[in-house]
Amino acid sequence: MSARLPLEGMKVADFSWFGAGPICAENLARYGATVVRVESEAHVDGLRSVQPFATGKTGYNVSGYFNNYNAGKLGVTFNLSTELGREMGRKLIRWCDVFVTNQTSRILEQWGYTYDDLVKINPTIIAAYQPMQGADGPHKNFFGFGAVLNAITGYNNLSGFPHRPPMGLGTNYPDYVINPGHTLIAILAALRYRKKTGKGQRIELAQIESSVAPLAPAIMEYTENGRVITRNGNRLAYASPHGAFRCADNTWQDQPEDRWVAFGVFNDAQWQALVEAMGAPAWAGDAKFATLASRKQHEDELEANVTAWTRERRAEDVMTLLQSKGVPAGVVQNSRDVLTADEHLKARQYYQYLDHPETGRAAYDGPPFRLSKTPGTLKTPATCLGEYNEYVCKELLGMTDDEIAEALVEQALF
Amino acid sequence: MRKRRAMTESALSDLRVLDLAGETGVYAGKLLADLGADVIRIEPPDGDPLRDVPPFFHDVHAADHSLTFFHLNTNKRSVTLDFTKPQGRALFERLVKSADIVIESYTPGYLDGMGLGYDGLCKIRPDIVLTSITGFGQDGPHARWAWSDIVGVAMSGMMTLAGDKEDPPNRPYGNQGYVCAGIDGAAGALMAIVHRDNTGEGQHVDVSMQEALSINQETAMMVFDMNQRVATRTGARGLIPIDLPGIGVFECKDGQVFAYLGSPGGAPWTVMLDWMIAEGKAEDLTEGENLEVVRQLNLRFLTALVQEPEKLPARLKVLSHMREVFQRFCLSMDKWTLYQEAQKRRLMIGIISTPEDLAKNPQLAARHWYQDVQHDHLGETVRYAGPPYRLSQTPWTMRRRPPLPGEHTVEVLCDELGVAPAELDALRAAGVA
Repeated sequence: MSARLPLEGMKVADFSWFGAGPICAENLARYGATVVRVESEAHVDGLRSVQPFATGKTGYNVSGYFNNYNAGKLGVTFNLSTELGREMGRKLIRWCDVFVTNQTSRILEQWGYTYDDLVKINPTIIAAYQPMQGADGPHKNFFGFGAVLNAITGYNNLSGFPHRPPMGLGTNYPDYVINPGHTLIAILAALRYRKKTGKGQRIELAQIESSVAPLAPAIMEYTENGRVITRNGNRLAYASPHGAFRCADNTWQDQPEDRWVAFGVFNDAQWQALVEAMGAPAWAGDAKFATLASRKQHEDELEANVTAWTRERRAEDVMTLLQSKGVPAGVVQNSRDVLTADEHLKARQYYQYLDHPETGRAAYDGPPFRLSKTPGTLKTPATCLGEYNEYVCKELLGMTDDEIAEALVEQALF
Repeated sequence: MRKRRAMTESALSDLRVLDLAGETGVYAGKLLADLGADVIRIEPPDGDPLRDVPPFFHDVHAADHSLTFFHLNTNKRSVTLDFTKPQGRALFERLVKSADIVIESYTPGYLDGMGLGYDGLCKIRPDIVLTSITGFGQDGPHARWAWSDIVGVAMSGMMTLAGDKEDPPNRPYGNQGYVCAGIDGAAGALMAIVHRDNTGEGQHVDVSMQEALSINQETAMMVFDMNQRVATRTGARGLIPIDLPGIGVFECKDGQVFAYLGSPGGAPWTVMLDWMIAEGKAEDLTEGENLEVVRQLNLRFLTALVQEPEKLPARLKVLSHMREVFQRFCLSMDKWTLYQEAQKRRLMIGIISTPEDLAKNPQLAARHWYQDVQHDHLGETVRYAGPPYRLSQTPWTMRRRPPLPGEHTVEVLCDELGVAPAELDALRAAGVA
């Protein structure tokens, strides 16, 4: 086991907020980087005011939404609407190796933190920007956040059942892996290049481009075959049955709770295994279900028959039975399942529990990938607003007590 | 011995990657290849199952026509090699010697059983980075369970949040489990390479699709952890218990838009009203109580509303009327006009893009995002998705169309490894290459 994490010694100035920026920077912290997270009472991360809050607690430091993306960081409050605050921000930019932000270019221009500004202060900086639409083009000033981005980038039209409006995925999906994950890849590539050549660079992840890229096959269906596909529920062209099937209801806090198992049958062996698991019912022997092509033709009836079987059983039991026969199956788990019931996640200790001064012990998402010799970890819980002002100003930026006092008086540290 | 390739202006051009991954991990290799790595896809001589994944170019189901394969294999080379056979394995081991990263997505234990797991690969190449991208990860009670994309999204906790309460939970389109696992696999491989650059030490990267997807639960995990409440899917209305004017899906002339008027950072409803007046479509929103509500409508107003039950019925009537007038306004316009004109006014309205809309998006066109790539065997160019990121010094590039099956077998095995052409012929006859 190596004591040194891959990014130890690397310095990150995290000027981001909401999801895509902070999650990326949190993963840099997880693998050893020193990450300073810049906020201000005058420009608080909106997630600090969004539920959930630790039960019975109020204030900026108790949102689980914010906290999950901001562990392992040193939070400071530099008021960037003051010149002294922006000067302290520039000190941080001089100090850092990597700068991350998903602020709009309008705000970055106000602050004086465009790439052209940054390289004057720090010529070898790696600066990662995450604009919605990119720094040029007719829509460069269009704005939005995940909920609208889901729609613009095609996820909403393509997901869900055809008889419903394109309502989306219930979350701001690209904010959590697609955009922060792509950004992390770009930063790591840039770090490597800098190590070899001494050159920094500008990274621009236009969130629309990053989010649309994985949907390429649907677009190619249009550009190459002239076909405009749309949402088709849980069905898949090359598997049948394929979907989520209702199981016996559960009771949770005295209320009935619907339970579902998801599985897909991709080949004849898996179909035979499913039939066997169901106890070889007569309907399953009908020729109309014998091949993938014929199952696709009779999919409504097939799904109804399968559901008649699953509805009588616990989702966990269907999953275990199908898995024992080699059919890929899983319970449609909810948050209670993943935190308290899933023996596998528990055995792998995926969720990391950290003691936070205001929320108490709380769960954080674990590592996106595990490195056998340098396992990443969140060393500290989510940073409170301004928690590390003194440490960062003194120890990292070399400010004197007098300078810090002036910053407080001027509300530059605010 | 391995040959070091010359360093060009690319972040990863000195890296060789062997890509053994199936659908679960294949995006990882593409991400590395598009940033300059030499990614060699090792395909079974009797056919790579990934080449059977629809849709197909011009709907022709053939090994060199899968559009899904095309998308996921840009910039890669292809070698056909059966490394489960002894002669194939010997060549595979020589390839491993020349490689920095191996990406695979076999059931955990499969490669170990052949002596080609992490320990086995280390004997061949001590600083190798093995990146394993699987449904559930390398250890734990479900490690060897069967998986597919829907199993990952179901088990991660994100699927239960999508869809209408009356329907089954919705799987997101486009194998998002494979996408997220692939992204985390590429990031993990690069993180391990950064460590190797620092220390000379390789390691095993373990990506579990279930875990990679967990953070997509948004707040659900924290809601249960902090408040012991189970979040579930709420359909088109989202978390808002009443139908609000200008929030949700709205029909327009030729499609739909998603609107979120009054959201923080965006323009208020009064700006919307001015636009409706200018278009002659404000109806009676300029009058009396309607105007009063338009002027006040924001999140604080709504919160206060819930606390004043005596005012609620009258207010709800106004809100419902505003929604109808707004819907009529949307129906009078086409989706692109509505989207672009709203954005000019900082009104939060987004087009609900179909794949055709994505193909025609003026912003993507102006930034030359799509990449046309010539496919000689098809006699045509194929249009590809462009870069997820733009790096100023080491740009994402489309250097090479996706390979035909075994297109680079001779180049890699004979020209680079020094296998004699006659030997390759013999391997081919034996079904090994």
